[in-house]
Amino acid sequence: MKRYLRLYFFFLQFSFSKALEFRIDFFFRIAMDIMYYFVNIALFKILLLHTPLIAGWNEEQMMIFVGCYLLVDAINMTVFSTNMWWLPFYINRGELDYYLIRPVSPLFFLSLREFSANSFINLMIAAVFFFHSLFSYSQDWNLLSLFGLIILLINGSLIYYCIQMLMILPVFWTQSAKGFIDLFYTLGLAMERPDRIFKGWLRVLFTVVLPFGLIASFPARIFIEGFNLQTIFHLILVTSGLWIVVLSVWRKGLKSYSSASS
Amino acid sequence: MIEVKNLRKTFISHRKEPGLKGSLKALFKREKVIKEALKSVSFKIQQGEIVGLIGANGAGKTTLVKILAGIVHPTSGEATILGFKPWERDNNYRRQMSLIMGQKAQVWWDLPALDSFLLLKEIYQIDDFLFKKNIEFLADTLMIKDQLKTQVRKLSLGERMKIELMAALLHQPKVIFLDEPTIGLDISAQKAVREFMRNYQSEFKPITILTSHYMEDIKELCPRIMIIKEGEFVYDGALSEVQKMMGDEKRLTVTTKEKTFKVNVRRSELGSTTSELFKSNDILDLNIHDPSVNDIIESIMNYGIKSP
Repeated sequence: MKRYLRLYFFFLQFSFSKALEFRIDFFFRIAMDIMYYFVNIALFKILLLHTPLIAGWNEEQMMIFVGCYLLVDAINMTVFSTNMWWLPFYINRGELDYYLIRPVSPLFFLSLREFSANSFINLMIAAVFFFHSLFSYSQDWNLLSLFGLIILLINGSLIYYCIQMLMILPVFWTQSAKGFIDLFYTLGLAMERPDRIFKGWLRVLFTVVLPFGLIASFPARIFIEGFNLQTIFHLILVTSGLWIVVLSVWRKGLKSYSSASS
Repeated sequence: MIEVKNLRKTFISHRKEPGLKGSLKALFKREKVIKEALKSVSFKIQQGEIVGLIGANGAGKTTLVKILAGIVHPTSGEATILGFKPWERDNNYRRQMSLIMGQKAQVWWDLPALDSFLLLKEIYQIDDFLFKKNIEFLADTLMIKDQLKTQVRKLSLGERMKIELMAALLHQPKVIFLDEPTIGLDISAQKAVREFMRNYQSEFKPITILTSHYMEDIKELCPRIMIIKEGEFVYDGALSEVQKMMGDEKRLTVTTKEKTFKVNVRRSELGSTTSELFKSNDILDLNIHDPSVNDIIESIMNYGIKSP
């Protein structure tokens, strides 16, 4: 574990020194993400002009939820996105070779090696909005529930990563350029909606099969509505199940990896 | 020690006719193509040996190397290296093994080599003293000391290959797979890499499997060669013995108005073949000589070993 932390420290160092070389990209990303944040916040603000509650949440509570998913999105953009972008290319072009021969988990290496230092500023902006939404909340909350929320959002980032991996890993067999990553971005919108709006089979889809609802909506719900054993149990069960599926698909994928010849 | 028994690898792909029509057709009915990249290969290599693996493009060299490095799973068969099954990817195996591919870079392009080395130090858990010693030794013998702090992408191809060699040898591997280490290098850089490998081999005595298209690499470094053709070994033995395989043959280099070509002819048929050639061609030049090692290996690679 300590060794992996040290390795991650190297990745951070490398990524920052690289990012500073590409200034245009640096500023472009910041501008793009600020627009994304603005659109998301505005969407719910406008909706709430016409209705007092969305899925049982008032404006303050909705903003906490929006803060939650913007934060998860920013964490993923910063920590995983560049790696996820490259992964299908690596698999298709046989570039996994050097990762597979190292005495370190190749999954760790391929998922975390590129830290998007560019998006780091956006992570800060998202964090500011997140805390702003919490501090403007008129109901009482304590440090323990804040701590719980942050843990659940980190878990949410892991779920986001796992679903994304499940859409990318079929590349091992399809040899297509992107796997089902477009599907991921389309369905990913479900993360930006309160889970209560999903009923019937849609609810099963978004809270069990592709659990986008567990990324930000469940954590926000626990923070707003209080600790609920059933929800926590649901989160633990689905997260661990998802993680096991990702690991086994990854292992199966490596078995059929044919490594395009040099 | 490396011990390989009946190793096989088949790849399955799908054939598609060209064009949009072909793509549409393939959507409904795909033709499965099974390619046997390796057909039951067996051999042993002792510690300290350096072996040349030779074959035409697509003969199965790289597939074999990738199986032994643990990258690709074989379809069937056994392989044990230092007591490990390579494709199980045991960390204790990976820590003692190294792979260098002339066509694929392993160091970070945007950073100075030294940064990548520090990361490798952490990955392979090389202690400070050994790390320092190895950097010094490798940089000195490869004469690349001044380039360690330059961004890798700003280095020449030859310098980059030297950096790749350093990166691969920092942890003093006991098993080394060198896949085309001199590809694209100019003559002097090729020589430098060869010279270095020779010294390294005699000093550290790893098991080395070298694949190369340049016969010079093989001739200078490998006392033993394995020739692979269409997934099968057609020769595994001493390089010096290979010449005897064709002891009965002479090589004719024939130049006509249109082209120059080479043929191998048995000594006993030399007279009849040359007169045949003169009759049917407008010959400008004819040269009869003993086949060189290159000629022999090329001939084995293309036609296999002919029975006497």
